[in-house]
Amino acid sequence: MTGKNCVAIAADRRFGIQAQTIGHEFQRIYGMSDHLYIGFSGLATDVTTVSNKLKFRLNMYMLRENREMKPETFMSLVSSLLYEKRFGPYFVEPVIAGLDKNAKPFVGSLDLIGCPMITEDFVVSGTASEQLYGMCESLWEPDLEADDLFESISQALLNAVDRDCVSGWGGIVYVIEKDKVTEKILKARMD
Amino acid sequence: MAASSLAKSYRNRSAIDFIKTTSKRKEDEMIEDELRTHLSKELSFQVPPMDPQVFLKSINERENGVKIQFLHGTTTLAFKFKNGVIVAADSRASMGSYIGSQTVKKVIEINPYLLGTMAGGAADCSFWERVLAERCRVYELRNKERISVAAASKLLANMVYYYKGMGLSMGTMICGWDKRGPGLYYVDSDGTRMTNYMFSVGSGSTYAYGILDSGFKHDLEDEEAYDLARRAIFHATHRDAYSGGSVNLYHVKETGWVKISRDDVGPLYYQYKDAQ
Amino acid sequence: MAAELKKAIYPENATIGLPTQHRFDPYTLNGGTIVGVAGDNFAILAGDTRLSEGFMIHSRDTSKIYKLTEKTFLGTCGFQGDVLTLTRLLNARLTMYEFEHRKKMSSTAISQMLSTVLYYRRFFPYYTFNILAGIDTDGKGCIYSYDAVGNYEKHTYHASGTASSMLQPLLDNQVGYLNQEGVRRVPLTIDKARTLIKDVFISATERDMYTGDSLHIVTITSDGVTEDHFPLRRD
Repeated sequence: MTGKNCVAIAADRRFGIQAQTIGHEFQRIYGMSDHLYIGFSGLATDVTTVSNKLKFRLNMYMLRENREMKPETFMSLVSSLLYEKRFGPYFVEPVIAGLDKNAKPFVGSLDLIGCPMITEDFVVSGTASEQLYGMCESLWEPDLEADDLFESISQALLNAVDRDCVSGWGGIVYVIEKDKVTEKILKARMD
Repeated sequence: MAASSLAKSYRNRSAIDFIKTTSKRKEDEMIEDELRTHLSKELSFQVPPMDPQVFLKSINERENGVKIQFLHGTTTLAFKFKNGVIVAADSRASMGSYIGSQTVKKVIEINPYLLGTMAGGAADCSFWERVLAERCRVYELRNKERISVAAASKLLANMVYYYKGMGLSMGTMICGWDKRGPGLYYVDSDGTRMTNYMFSVGSGSTYAYGILDSGFKHDLEDEEAYDLARRAIFHATHRDAYSGGSVNLYHVKETGWVKISRDDVGPLYYQYKDAQ
Repeated sequence: MAAELKKAIYPENATIGLPTQHRFDPYTLNGGTIVGVAGDNFAILAGDTRLSEGFMIHSRDTSKIYKLTEKTFLGTCGFQGDVLTLTRLLNARLTMYEFEHRKKMSSTAISQMLSTVLYYRRFFPYYTFNILAGIDTDGKGCIYSYDAVGNYEKHTYHASGTASSMLQPLLDNQVGYLNQEGVRRVPLTIDKARTLIKDVFISATERDMYTGDSLHIVTITSDGVTEDHFPLRRD
């Protein structure tokens, strides 16, 4: 979700196999660089694999170029990585949130074979995506300050996952600003 | 009643009849006929012009969005102990992975001394247990005494057995107290009917059994029994994605059932966690 | 008995299960969304007026709200054919009740009747999702929601239809105060409920293809009924 000179990304913390909940401290959002975060919904093993591969390619880029990667460029990187496995894809649907060097917010999402989509307001992904669309469509407004953005994204996440059987068990939110990143763990229903 | 009226309704409404109908007069007759079947005091079940089970299965496997999904996924439990029967259930209704409701009453109050539980198709359970309530009342008026739990559960088992193979889905526990003391029977839509001191039914039942077995004794005190049942449902809602909402808890005593509590699972987690 | 039943279900000439059989396809999804909200002295039922099939819009002004009695309304969506049959049947049953008992049926009685009517099509369901709104005998607003085969529950707010999963979490949050801490729970007023319903429909229309065109809102109080329309996106 985008705000005024800030951007936020949030996810639930459930790790489960179909109906069975195995753990509720699963990390599906990864900080790639200071102002660039990526979250994945989908198969846990692919989440780990894809995030590691991305981190490797991003680090290589930064060493070679000696500068930060722009969010748009990072999205192309994710897209090409996913498309490499066009006929045996990774089962992940990533969401990217970041700030560019002018503190302009960026959000975008991709499907499992790397089709990118960049929006001005918000992107959602996962089993509760319909619920999230309903929540975000009503709670989001342009130019939210960091605190308000946190409140909006948290309420959107919590109420959406409470109407989805296979999401929830806690939430995590990152609010990314020019000079700091705030990480908050949300207390939620555990059923 | 059922078989003959089922046969009648099938004949009345076969697809062939609809196609053959061309004249206005015939159409009028058919509307009258339909109204008669619909509006007679004893309604009869309408069936599709093919095997109902195959039909019901086929409409849920379409890709065009036409889907009829019923409540599935539940945790219910009941056990007998020295002071009666404890009955508890979660309250989540799910359609696929979407949560339709978090406030379903899965313990059905059949009458002041009989309880039923709901697992499987929600409509199947509530409808047939409503019919059971009527049958129990009629029994009472005819025999001047209350029906036994054994007899009540058998009535239900026989009713649903009649529709075996037609796609009913019901897993229920009938709980009460009669001359023989506390009664607990498990009845399902396959026609199974059995009695034991403890049952748990639904997708979260394995988790509930785990808690129940580790803490169950016949001579539990009331409060201990309530806590055990509540914890069993709670742990099932925690691990099973398709169970959740709140825990509804009932105690069947010699004088009839009493509703003990309704606890939202949300705060319950942090309550148990803090107590550790 | 069992043989008789089997014969009723499988006529001699039927070819059930054989590969030559054509698929029996009696339903289409005509889309649409309905929302009901109940307060202390009122009930509001709202539904969009689009009637669609796949990528085609059949009609932009077909209301999903049907009047059953002076203070009971039914919102229903799903397959329009079943919607029509169901509402016609309910009206017939209500008229018969009125003649037999010399009084109108109460909202609570209608709620149970609807459940039974739906369940008697257990093996060949009406493909309809219903919300019943009315004023109960104490003058309080009530909302009942149904699945296709008649399982029902009383709510204070509920959304059904193609965009229900988008609307429901927001209602949970704004009407049910879920996930809100330290907030004073003020009783819902008619104006607030109406504004909220409009807002959630505007949101749903943005994302759901099958919801749009116009919103039909029926407000039921013990003093009477008001109906209004509110334009929605038409794309």
